[in-house]
Amino acid sequence: MIGSLVFPPIGHLVQWKGILFKGTPFEVNKTVLIMWASVAIVFGVFRTASRRASLVPTGVQNLAEATVDFVQNGIILQTIGEEGLHFTPFLLALFSFILVGNIFEIIPLVQFPANARMAFPMFGALMVWAIYNYLGVKEHGFIGYLKHATVPPGVPKAMLPLVVLIEVVSKFLLQPFSLAVRLFANELAGHLLLVTFAVLSTTLLTAHTAFLKPITVLPAVMLIALTGFELLVAVLQAFIFTILTGVYIAAATSHEH
Amino acid sequence: MRTRVLLSGGAVVAVTLLGVPGVAHAAAKSDEISKCLEEKQAAHQTDYSTCQKAPNPILPATSEIIWGAISFVVLFFLLAKFAWPGLKKALDARADKIRESLDEAERARTEAETVLEDYQRQVADAKSEAARIIEEARQTADNLRQDLRRQAEAEVAELKQRAQEDIQAQVDRAMADLRSQVGELAIELAEKVVERNLDHATQMALIDSFISQVGSPSA
Repeated sequence: MIGSLVFPPIGHLVQWKGILFKGTPFEVNKTVLIMWASVAIVFGVFRTASRRASLVPTGVQNLAEATVDFVQNGIILQTIGEEGLHFTPFLLALFSFILVGNIFEIIPLVQFPANARMAFPMFGALMVWAIYNYLGVKEHGFIGYLKHATVPPGVPKAMLPLVVLIEVVSKFLLQPFSLAVRLFANELAGHLLLVTFAVLSTTLLTAHTAFLKPITVLPAVMLIALTGFELLVAVLQAFIFTILTGVYIAAATSHEH
Repeated sequence: MRTRVLLSGGAVVAVTLLGVPGVAHAAAKSDEISKCLEEKQAAHQTDYSTCQKAPNPILPATSEIIWGAISFVVLFFLLAKFAWPGLKKALDARADKIRESLDEAERARTEAETVLEDYQRQVADAKSEAARIIEEARQTADNLRQDLRRQAEAEVAELKQRAQEDIQAQVDRAMADLRSQVGELAIELAEKVVERNLDHATQMALIDSFISQVGSPSA
């Protein structure tokens, strides 16, 4: 019966038992293993591509160069411009690491996106925050940067205190927060959706009442469709995180408003 | 420089995060929850909510933050150090190669255009030269023809002149011959007339024979 539907607590879906170094700050669990795998995969792809670089690219070199091209033409040139091209290794690492971490959501047997845990999104957002503020201070000087970041030109004097307050909250608090939460929440929600339809399918299929079994088709079809959708979300969220990084860096270092 | 910038940024964040100790250590607790759930299922109870003192799924585990940070920094370092330079070199090499090929093609095109221009000029030169030669030949032929005609006309005139002179000479000679013969004949005739007094029939016969004598070549 439907009454036998057991949906595990959300904590159980995203928190994993320690495997190594249990109880220490270096405890290794599934999430950490996925992060390691992401590092290995991303580095493996780009290292292989750079070692077997030929004039006419094939295979893994194509994949690597297409990613580089996407980061350079689709992200850097669209946000920072030519002078941002030296950020390529950083943004490439950021995009690839998030993308591969996300894609583990739909890899059979793993089926968990590393970014459904707040760990990397938080670290990544704080890192991006530190970088764009540092670059802004370096570009404009401390006072100059504060003014550049918080005082938009052409605002009436009477409005200035309110506008500055909004800008301070948005630039220094909300931007990193939303950057982290956007990635984390999307991945978590995707994971929960897939788990929900998987649990529903299993429950219906193993139900004691025979007439419930054919209904399994409904959540199963939904599960397949959502798996495809999650691939899209994985790419999209990696892209959004990276392009927003570009946008924030561009805003901090630009000389015109 | 920028590598140092990014690394120091990462380090600052990592220190900040490590400075805030233990956010969630839920793994041990989740074991308890699983146990509770299993017990309830075994006992056919459905009030699972009492077990769901699950840790907050939003708060991250410290170890995951640490490993996430380490993973990303290591990945960035590896990429920047061991993969990106080679990749960039390959991309730049290709861009250079393409640029070179385009330049080369442009150069070849310019060269071909120059060659074509030269060739066209040569063809034009050759054409005008040919026209000149033909014109010259035509004029030469014209002159030659006129010369020849003039020469032929002169010759014809000369021949005609000579023929007329020849004819005149012949006529003169014939006239002279005739004159002398007629004189002789007249004398002969006169002699005959004088020799005999002739009747009319005899005179006529005489004249006939005279004429036939004159007509015969032996005369």
